[in-house]
Amino acid sequence: MINRVLTTSLLLFSLFVFSQTHLQKENLMSTAIKVKAQKFKENTNFYKAQNFFLQNNWDSTLVYSMKEINESRNKEILDYCHYFRAISFKEKKLLDESKKELNQISSGFPFSYKVKMKLGEIALSKNNFKLALQYFHETEKLTNKQLYDIKFSTVLHNIGLCYLHLENYEKAEEYLFKSAKRQEIEKDTVLLIGSYMDIATLYYQQYKDNQAIPYFEKAYRLSQKAKSLELKQNATLNMAVVEENRKNFPLALNYRKEYEKWKDSLNDQNKVWAIADLEKKFAIKQKQKEVDILEAENKIKAAERNGFLASSILLLILFGTGIYFYRQKIKKNRIILKQKNELDELNATKDKLFSIVSHDLRSSVNALKTSNGKLIENLKSKNFTELDTLLHTNSTIANSTYNLLDNLLNWALLQTKQSYFFKESLHLASIVQHVEYNYKPLMLSKNIGFKNEVAKSEYVFADTDSLKIIIRNFLDNAIKFSKENGLISIYTRTSTEEYCYLVIEDTGVGMSENTISDLLKDTMLLSKKENDDIIGTGLGLQLCKSMIYKNGGSLEIESKENVGTKIIIALQKFKNHG
Amino acid sequence: MDNINVLIIEDTVSESDALVKVLTDNNYNIVGIASTYNEALALFYNNVVDIVVIDVFLDGKPDGITFAETINIVPNSVKPFVFLTNSKDRQIFERAKLTKPFSFLMKPFNELEILYAMEMAVEKFYQQLNVFHSEDQNTVVSNDSLFIKKKKALKKVCIEDILYIEVEDRYCNIITETEKFVILISLTKIIELLDPMQFVRTHRNFIVNSNKILEIVLSDNLIVLKGNHHVTLSEKYKDVIGKFTVLK
Repeated sequence: MINRVLTTSLLLFSLFVFSQTHLQKENLMSTAIKVKAQKFKENTNFYKAQNFFLQNNWDSTLVYSMKEINESRNKEILDYCHYFRAISFKEKKLLDESKKELNQISSGFPFSYKVKMKLGEIALSKNNFKLALQYFHETEKLTNKQLYDIKFSTVLHNIGLCYLHLENYEKAEEYLFKSAKRQEIEKDTVLLIGSYMDIATLYYQQYKDNQAIPYFEKAYRLSQKAKSLELKQNATLNMAVVEENRKNFPLALNYRKEYEKWKDSLNDQNKVWAIADLEKKFAIKQKQKEVDILEAENKIKAAERNGFLASSILLLILFGTGIYFYRQKIKKNRIILKQKNELDELNATKDKLFSIVSHDLRSSVNALKTSNGKLIENLKSKNFTELDTLLHTNSTIANSTYNLLDNLLNWALLQTKQSYFFKESLHLASIVQHVEYNYKPLMLSKNIGFKNEVAKSEYVFADTDSLKIIIRNFLDNAIKFSKENGLISIYTRTSTEEYCYLVIEDTGVGMSENTISDLLKDTMLLSKKENDDIIGTGLGLQLCKSMIYKNGGSLEIESKENVGTKIIIALQKFKNHG
Repeated sequence: MDNINVLIIEDTVSESDALVKVLTDNNYNIVGIASTYNEALALFYNNVVDIVVIDVFLDGKPDGITFAETINIVPNSVKPFVFLTNSKDRQIFERAKLTKPFSFLMKPFNELEILYAMEMAVEKFYQQLNVFHSEDQNTVVSNDSLFIKKKKALKKVCIEDILYIEVEDRYCNIITETEKFVILISLTKIIELLDPMQFVRTHRNFIVNSNKILEIVLSDNLIVLKGNHHVTLSEKYKDVIGKFTVLK
């Protein structure tokens, strides 16, 4: 039973000693380390090692301190590194390794008392009590000031603990009390509980139950206030053992239960931690999965969206081109239809022209035929006076037929745009004279007077042949529609800057307003003239109109029935000449 | 005053006959009638020709144009051409147009038309448009001749034959060694068109062919020309003497 108690307290103490080391680490030592770290900043391994050391990351500390030891020759750094390693090993419960490292630290190390302390703690932990005692005593000899951040009470406590283990109870009692007193002053509850328990154990081992039990109870009561579950557990267990030994089983049972409770809660806490950890991991995994799924979904969605976009664009383009081609087709169709109508109209005009022309030709050739027949008869009968008139008739018919054919040819050339067209400066009076020259005999035979009063100074800008055709046709018409003894005069009106006005005036049958407007209409349709006994198709006038427009001129007609007609042709002037 | 020498290139005899009749009636001198391309070239180079009347189609081929093109290549040999044609075929016209300047006449034509076409050819060739039918001028000046319209037809005077020109209002008296006649042209225009090295102004009304000067009598303000013609030298124009290299 006693053994059990002892084991318990020992367990308690080893823990206790370590926790104390832990508590001490902040403050002076860490400040010193930080200062060193700043000083040796360029030694990255050292810097990292100290960083990890202060963060209690023991494994990394070991790795980097080892590297630093291999590289550095600086004694100070080496000492620190060994120290880091010693503490790390100790924390990792590799006590022998820790001891080796501590032994490698030189005597000049400013925290050598700490090294002693650690060595002592290690010896204590390894149950090498005499050695431990030796180290602790060495530490004890140092004054309070030299100890800096190590609590003197702890040293005393540890010495006491050593004596206790060596069963030197008097010494143990002395030191433990000293330690307890100091702790009471310092109000260090945690340490105090340990001290009380140790004192209790001291008495208990000497079977001084009456002295031991109050300390146990004190420890227990204090432990109620303390946060450490381990302390609570140990204190409660001690109480349970004590009560058991006192045969006070119900109370012992209670303590046991409480002990179990603390133990459980300690385990629970660990389990809770572990579970929380697991849950956390699980949650992370779950989240990761969700994230993965979401990512995958996003990818699919993006792909879908892109696909949709591409297909819609494609469709749009197709639709657009479709519409475009459709519209083109409609346009083409419209043009084709329009052209077809135009062609139909032109074809109709051509057919009509064809029939009229052939009719005219037929009648004039027929007239020639009959006239020639008469000519032969008259020649046989030697009727020479009749012969002369017949020949003149023939000549007239031939002339008009020639004119018709000429117009027809020019019309065809104009329509097919094959004819050569070249505008130049022309002396209007001369051109009129040239045309007039051919009609002189005809006018003479019809006894029509003619006057050419075109101003000699007029030069027009036109194509020679088309101008001649125009004048010829109008002169021809004037002669045709003139009565015997009529008068035809060609003259120029006062011209403007741009135009020269050529007037062809006759005293013939004239035209009605309707006829004039019909003639000036833009249509290509030809109409057979009312005046049926005179050969003509209206082709001449259409030809003239077209040619006047082509020469950049215009046409006007003034006419009164049975009084006469004035044909007024506006022609472009030749600019280089007045 | 001489008649104008005309070369006719025409393969249809009836047409060339008509042409010859019209032209001779109007005092033109026909130097020859060619009916083929080669004949035309031979006649052209062996005679003094002033105007060439060309039928575009010779024996159905546009040899008339080929002839004009051949002549066109030789520098200084080109003369005014009058093309005669039956058709207004655009392609032929475009080709003929390359032989600039270009005058043409559609068949059939009457007397007036052919005479007019000849006048136009001369006007266009010497780049003095609208001369023969205007009321203030009847003479085209070429580098070696004056083309003068007399009545219906053209005449020419060799510039080298002119002794001096006397101006009277809008007219100019042309005095050669053998004749004296009046042409219608302004003084400024004729001075502009004549070679200024050869023809010098000696008086407000006199232009003298310096090659014909025999003697300058400064004391009497007189210039004596060939054929004993006397021309006044006015004070204003005395410095023209400086132009001549005078032998002393």
